[in-house]
Amino acid sequence: MRILIIDDDVDLRNLLERYIRQQWPESQVDQYDPLDHDIPGASFALGSYDVVILDYMLGRGDGLQWLQEFKRRADCPPILFLTGAGNEIIAVRAMKAGADDYQRKQELTRERLITSVRDLTASTSERTLSPELAARMEGQSLGARMQIPGIKVLHLIGEGGMSRVYLASREGDDEPLVVKILRSEVMSDRNALARFMEEYALVERIQSRHVARIYTHGASEGHAYLVMEFFEGGDLNKRLGGKALPAEEAVRLFRDLMFALGDIHEKGILHRDLKPQNLMFRTDGSLAVVDFGIAKHIDAADRTGHGEILGTPRYMSPEQVQGRALDLRTDIYSAGVLLFQMLTGRHLFDGATAVEVALHHLNTPPPGLPEPLARYQRLLDKLVEKDRDARFRNADEVIGFLSRLYFQAAPATAADKTQKLLH
Amino acid sequence: MDGKGKTTALYNRGMNDEAYKVTVAKDLEDLIPAFMRNRNKELETLKLALAAADFEQLRQLGHRMKGVGNSYGFAHVSVLGQGIEDGARSGDRASLESHIAQYGDYLSKVQIAFE
Repeated sequence: MRILIIDDDVDLRNLLERYIRQQWPESQVDQYDPLDHDIPGASFALGSYDVVILDYMLGRGDGLQWLQEFKRRADCPPILFLTGAGNEIIAVRAMKAGADDYQRKQELTRERLITSVRDLTASTSERTLSPELAARMEGQSLGARMQIPGIKVLHLIGEGGMSRVYLASREGDDEPLVVKILRSEVMSDRNALARFMEEYALVERIQSRHVARIYTHGASEGHAYLVMEFFEGGDLNKRLGGKALPAEEAVRLFRDLMFALGDIHEKGILHRDLKPQNLMFRTDGSLAVVDFGIAKHIDAADRTGHGEILGTPRYMSPEQVQGRALDLRTDIYSAGVLLFQMLTGRHLFDGATAVEVALHHLNTPPPGLPEPLARYQRLLDKLVEKDRDARFRNADEVIGFLSRLYFQAAPATAADKTQKLLH
Repeated sequence: MDGKGKTTALYNRGMNDEAYKVTVAKDLEDLIPAFMRNRNKELETLKLALAAADFEQLRQLGHRMKGVGNSYGFAHVSVLGQGIEDGARSGDRASLESHIAQYGDYLSKVQIAFE
């Protein structure tokens, strides 16, 4: 295998070469420094490479222009395009210009690089041998076939139990978007499909800056899809990174979550699956809730395979564990569990199995906060009360409590308060 | 909060003793001396670019730091790179001075463990 790495940073070139050589010791890796050389001319044997790894910012050159030039050539091999994190519009343009895959440089791990190169170089026979590769290829193929008015589906970026997730762009302005396409297994369950469409029709009507914007939904190629906003700031799980947040930041985010819940509950919708992966951040730092009403379906068929078995039980209310009828207070409890995690960096309850964690929610008194966080204990106690009648009744009550205790010196600004968005 | 403020806040939040400790994969150990040499050269280039008010070069250097830092496990290099890139874009000299000073401090104190 021959691979060409084009990047203006020698350390990054060396690192990528190391990863590739470790995985494929027989491979030949060539480095190309755009600070020393202009774009390779017609005499450059581009076609002798199996993959080109091309950076966006090349110091003196523009990686997108290089990509377009390469793609005009008949001998152009697959191209893995590297973009800066938080710059998804470039990824959109790269995919539209013909890049075969893209990676955010800041998040480029050994595993991601190898997976990407393997995908781009795998022969047809290899693909049929690997179920994982075959599934990804199937996902890519489905995305390419989808016909969504005004939207171009570009690239598979994630797979969940219910749906596949794609980077997409809005025609006209290249605005990055996310398209979620329901899996065929879910499509064949008429009840599940009906619930999905019904719930998202409701969510589309929530106009809150603390809730992910859903632009449209529909069906194409026999698959239901949603088009929603893309979050460049990642999710709370990423922000936490297994550690606590500064208390002020944790409480501020929690208050944003309460504003979101207020708007969601006002429409008669329960989220039921609040967890760090469902709290997303925009580039301006604002928080938005995603994935409504999916929780109960995901629980039944979680095929993520990413060790997330405990994900939902960790944030379940006692009444959820018991399978009782739910009301607003179930989300209040889950939000309390999230607040504990943001403040301490730890889960409220741990356990070896999902059942063990769920039973803790039913029977075990929650651990107290460490002394430096004692001022938040009353708040937390009233959020994670096992008896829901003793819990805060709704988000407004929590916001009132927060305002009295923690935000008196710094009242909510107009921007903090719930705003309705005009789509 | 704007990007610059966010970057500074993140940096200050993390700059306890732990933040100067970096763990790098054992099989990358031989790449680290060159990586550190290049970062120190980069620091000098940043200072020169700031003295010359060459904001375009500062932006490029910041962008490069942002890309390479995390890849090697030096998250703070990326955070500072983001700050320098933002500062160069907005022509914020005070922010650039602060971030470059922090970069010098970080490079002089960083402790690397190989696992």
